[in-house]
Amino acid sequence: MNFSLETKNLKWALLAGSISLGGMLLAAVPIKMLTDSGANQAAVSAPSSESLSSPQLIERGSQFFAMSCAHCHGDDAHGDEGPDLYNLPVSNAYIKVMIKRGVKGEMPTFAKKYNDDQVAALVAYLRSLR
Amino acid sequence: MLIDPTLWPKLHGASVHFPVALAMAAALFEGLGFFLPNSTRHKQNLHLAGYYLIILGALGTFPAVLSGLFMTHGATMGHGALLFHHLFVWPGFTLLVGLGVWRALVGDKFTRWGFGVYLIGLFLTAGLMAGAGYWGGELLLNS
Repeated sequence: MNFSLETKNLKWALLAGSISLGGMLLAAVPIKMLTDSGANQAAVSAPSSESLSSPQLIERGSQFFAMSCAHCHGDDAHGDEGPDLYNLPVSNAYIKVMIKRGVKGEMPTFAKKYNDDQVAALVAYLRSLR
Repeated sequence: MLIDPTLWPKLHGASVHFPVALAMAAALFEGLGFFLPNSTRHKQNLHLAGYYLIILGALGTFPAVLSGLFMTHGATMGHGALLFHHLFVWPGFTLLVGLGVWRALVGDKFTRWGFGVYLIGLFLTAGLMAGAGYWGGELLLNS
């Protein structure tokens, strides 16, 4: 009798697991739309993904990187005192905020040193690190 | 209204440790309860603790997964460490919810054979959660 209770509830368990997984994967779509629109708001002057691949912008960003970031993140950006910056799994807006705000006790703020266009160049350079 | 982009990483960090720890503790308690002889006084207590732990663990996965999805802008796979993290997260999440529902419905009316299968699933889930945690840590340290 208990065995039939177990198998009967196995169906509910499979259903709950499948629905939860499917629900989360489906929820990822509106979440992506929602967060991307928020990121666009945050990155008022941040360039689009297309313009981020501009060689001039990347070159400019690499100069800023060498001036302000390389001593902690390494000349090749593979990390030193600070972390490796290759293949950053975060949005452009997030990178921009991190550069501007810094990380308390770990990384200084660059909000006064670099304007939005310069930060965008840095983001372009960091995005080119793959 | 603009949401602070550091909110989601903070919420993910705050919520993600609960289901990992609860799944592992559930596996430990249910495993001990399963292998202890019937005459042992604590056998039922261990199963009762495991019962609540797996249910709470299953419930705890939802805020953890949702905050993770918001943090990664809806990325369900990604690449590098994030991909490995997700390869552990999705089966772990599915198993944890499924096992939590099964355990909640079956209660203490289980056969030894059925519970043995549940226990194997539970240990597998705990392993997957540990793997997800490991790659989550790699993401944090190397990004």
